[in-house]
Amino acid sequence: MLSALIWLPVLGALFTGILLPKWAKVSAIATSSIVLFLNLLLLRQFNLGEGGFQLQENLTWLDSIGLNYSLGIDGLSLPLVVLNGLITWLVVCFDREIEERKPLFYVLIFLIHSSFSGAVLSLNTLLFVLFYEVELIPIYLVIAIWGGKQKNYAAIKFLIFTAISGILILAGFLALAWLSGNGGALFDYQALQSVSLPLSTQIILLLLLLGGFAIKAPFVPFHTWLPDTYVESITPVVMMLGGVVAKLGTYGLFRFCVSLFPDAWSLLSPWIALWAGLGILYGAVTAIAQKDIKRMVAYSSIGHMSYILLAAAAGTPLSLVGGIAQMVSHGLILALLFDLVGIIEKKVGTRELDVLNGLLNPLRGFPTISALLILGGMASAGIPGMLGFIAEFLVFQGSFVKFPIPTLLAILGTGLTAVYFVILLNRTCFGKLDNATAYYPKVFRSEQIPALVLTSIIIFLGIQPQWLTAWSETVATQITDRLPSVTIAQTPSPSSFRK
Amino acid sequence: MATIVDIAVNNSAFSTLVAAVSAANLVDALQSPGPFTVFAPTNDAFAKLPGGTITTLLQNIPQLSRILTYHVAAGRYYKQDLKGQNCLASLEGSPIDLFITEGEFEVNNATVINADISADNGVIHVIDRVILMRPHWFHPIMNNRLVKA
Amino acid sequence: MLTSQLPPSTHPFADIIHRLEQGGSMLPDTEENLMQIIGLYKAYAVPMDFYWRDLLYIAEQVFLDPLPAFKYFLPQEYLDLANHYAGETADLRIWRGYSTAHQELLDFMAKGELKTKIPKLFHHLYHDRINMEFAEECMRAMFWHRNMGGLLEPYMDSEEYKQNADRAIRAYFQGNPIMLGLYRLFPEMFLEQCRQATMYSVLGLFWEVMAPVFFEMSDIYDEGGFKGVPDAMNFLVNGIFAIAGRPIYHRVNIRGEWFDLVPKAKGFTWLYEAAFPYVEAVFYRTSPFRGTKSYNAQAQEVPTDQNDFHYGVLYADKFPVASAGIPPTLLHQDMYHFLPPYLIDYYQKFCRGKDDMLIQLAVSFQRSMYNVTSAVIQAGRAAFLYPLDDPNPRHLLANRAYFEGQLTRFANPKYGMNKAARILAIQSQNYR
Repeated sequence: MLSALIWLPVLGALFTGILLPKWAKVSAIATSSIVLFLNLLLLRQFNLGEGGFQLQENLTWLDSIGLNYSLGIDGLSLPLVVLNGLITWLVVCFDREIEERKPLFYVLIFLIHSSFSGAVLSLNTLLFVLFYEVELIPIYLVIAIWGGKQKNYAAIKFLIFTAISGILILAGFLALAWLSGNGGALFDYQALQSVSLPLSTQIILLLLLLGGFAIKAPFVPFHTWLPDTYVESITPVVMMLGGVVAKLGTYGLFRFCVSLFPDAWSLLSPWIALWAGLGILYGAVTAIAQKDIKRMVAYSSIGHMSYILLAAAAGTPLSLVGGIAQMVSHGLILALLFDLVGIIEKKVGTRELDVLNGLLNPLRGFPTISALLILGGMASAGIPGMLGFIAEFLVFQGSFVKFPIPTLLAILGTGLTAVYFVILLNRTCFGKLDNATAYYPKVFRSEQIPALVLTSIIIFLGIQPQWLTAWSETVATQITDRLPSVTIAQTPSPSSFRK
Repeated sequence: MATIVDIAVNNSAFSTLVAAVSAANLVDALQSPGPFTVFAPTNDAFAKLPGGTITTLLQNIPQLSRILTYHVAAGRYYKQDLKGQNCLASLEGSPIDLFITEGEFEVNNATVINADISADNGVIHVIDRVILMRPHWFHPIMNNRLVKA
Repeated sequence: MLTSQLPPSTHPFADIIHRLEQGGSMLPDTEENLMQIIGLYKAYAVPMDFYWRDLLYIAEQVFLDPLPAFKYFLPQEYLDLANHYAGETADLRIWRGYSTAHQELLDFMAKGELKTKIPKLFHHLYHDRINMEFAEECMRAMFWHRNMGGLLEPYMDSEEYKQNADRAIRAYFQGNPIMLGLYRLFPEMFLEQCRQATMYSVLGLFWEVMAPVFFEMSDIYDEGGFKGVPDAMNFLVNGIFAIAGRPIYHRVNIRGEWFDLVPKAKGFTWLYEAAFPYVEAVFYRTSPFRGTKSYNAQAQEVPTDQNDFHYGVLYADKFPVASAGIPPTLLHQDMYHFLPPYLIDYYQKFCRGKDDMLIQLAVSFQRSMYNVTSAVIQAGRAAFLYPLDDPNPRHLLANRAYFEGQLTRFANPKYGMNKAARILAIQSQNYR
């Protein structure tokens, strides 16, 4: 099953790549639909109560260097895999932006999809790095071929930053492997879980891996690649990037940083929590300053990732569930917002906040798109009734007991999120259309469907959150069990580390 | 001497006017001592009005009478007397605008083609158009100059 | 073709001035424009047929009813009321057709937009009907704005009117001690309601004339009788003159007896007491629509002087059509039901086709109202000034001063009136 999830899209990509454009689309839709269907089957097959990794697959590959084909899924990777399947399906089926080289586009999207799934499902750290690195090239190509005006700059910047992050992660895993293995190198994740290293080693390895994942997520101040990359990418690409690929960073955070180095993590967690709080504020404040709506949403993305960092730092079961929920929530909401912003840009021709106005006009504007933008903005700001609130509330509830000050900063950041979204909605949706220029083409139903689907899911999960949180409760408890309880630190604990 | 009505009746150029005045029951009024100054439109003047105008007016006597009384002012005014003034109050209530120079004698948008015809109870000036009350916005519009922003 | 003896005008709207001096309209003379305006005249005339009948019904029958829940349910008697300017019984037969309610109107009233035969009350509540609220809004604009000219306004403040009103009120509420008691306590309020009813009558009598004019124009266009926009405008000018003398009055039917509040004998005319106030109050001024202007006095968006109001159709921004709180939207919805087929085909080719037809027809309607305003301006010139081919240059200069004065209204920089006026927008065919 898990291998199918990884290799079926690759097969589909190969097949699609050799067909003519109009058949390519059919083949791509078929492939992504099958994958989505498999994801839903996976949801049924997954056993909620069982801890550890399920549906494992183990194939010996290059045992001499420790690279084995091990796959497994648990409550952390399951939501991400399904998210991946959903967003890829939406992107492939309803995209209308790609005019040229369609088959190549589908190939690249499926490669991105597969490498994400592969990375998230792999139980071998070297395999993880392999998939992580493989993902770079399709993304670089997809930005550089179909991007905006500064696509080459953005693509190269992305490549360099993510490559460096990959190097850091690889270095971390290699070091971990040699330090943990007795004689040989240990890349098997489940084995690594039972290894216990001295605290100082843990801290160094943690910092290496944390650096790598912090670039990927991204967390401030490693975020500078993100605004350019997202702004220069076309809508389907940025939906994939923001909705799915960025989660590799936070996945790595939970799976490797928190789980493999529990002592180091809980030692550093107060600083990390503060870092997260400041990151949220930074993202919100810079978003308020933006005059380009796509850039504004990109900075929003940076801010919202730091909630996950806060959740990880707090390390309580509730906050970890919240963190995983926030990963999914962030993915869905960002995909929605970028989709809507992309439609507006395509129809109106501009992304400037000062120029856009009056899009809620029922006849000459985009009433449905604007209404969904309002919903999406409010979901991102954490209005109850939608998934954003659930995720953020769980994070706050789980983190406040441990780190009240960073949590308060995060709550403040949520308030500021509402500020910039209200600015965005006020300027673009409300007001008057400009009589001289407002002759925009209409939005077709097929263009609205991805946004409608995403919005319905966001609202549904906002009202019935257990459909999402149920998957990750077991794994959250498992991770927190590994974290040391309060007064374990051998070195003097920081003053803020208080129960 | 003849009254205003007699002069009008005896001149075939005023037949439309006479018909209108009779229909409006203003004959007795215009026979009375007055004195009146009447600006009398010729048949050609009435013909210049678009079709149907007279029909409608003849069907509605109060309205017709208002238009006709607008052509009459109380008092005996010859061209000389009116020289210095630029308007004259009509019996209808609205003012009649005057433009008088040596060679020209105009009331509202009509030209007086034959001035100072004396009658027992007043004076007649013959005009070439039917004059209509100028609305209150007329003069402000005529003087509405562009304001620089 | 008239050649001008005068040097070119230096007014910012010089092109339009010259066109007016040649006998044209503010609207450029193109075939597309002609099609648009005639189509909208016809689409406007059918609901107008309902409006004038219901306005008279409310003025004459409903009168001072404190809870007039069914004032829009027009009785058959008023649907059969003969229009004085159409059909065989007409005083002056402007429209060659018939004098009772137009067939398209009757068809629509039977089935509505939903095209079902559910009870009339449901159609009414669902707003699937002629939106009479628009007509009432026009009435309110005429009622509220003062300094409209004519003799009716001072008459409504006069003692004679008060006496007439008193008689009518007492007769209307005969046997109703509560209302008579209220009348004793608040006589001014009841008097004001009478004045409002008078304005209903004025507007109803005004539109009674306009509906046959528009129907006739549509018929002439269908036959190919109009060679261009100036022809259509001239038809309106002649029409204005023809009906200028139509009496304006208000009488109330109370239990079979007619009471005159404004008797015909007062001599109020269609031109001075209805047409000019209507154009001024509805085309130029009206009132700012909720949601489009800030009513906050500190924001100073709404002028303090009534004369400076600039929210009429000539200044209207047509893009917010279908937004709530804007009464002309209701009119556009009405007109949408009666568009001639050639316009429906035409609109499908532009902008969003069927989806934003309301806005497209609103823009065409604005063009048609500019044409009506041009007709009023030209009629004013013909009535108060000189013919276009007058040999006297002083007369031609007076004409020019008049045209320039009229157009200068659209160039007024106060409150952004010059930006709001659509006179420049309609010069281009691309304004849709």
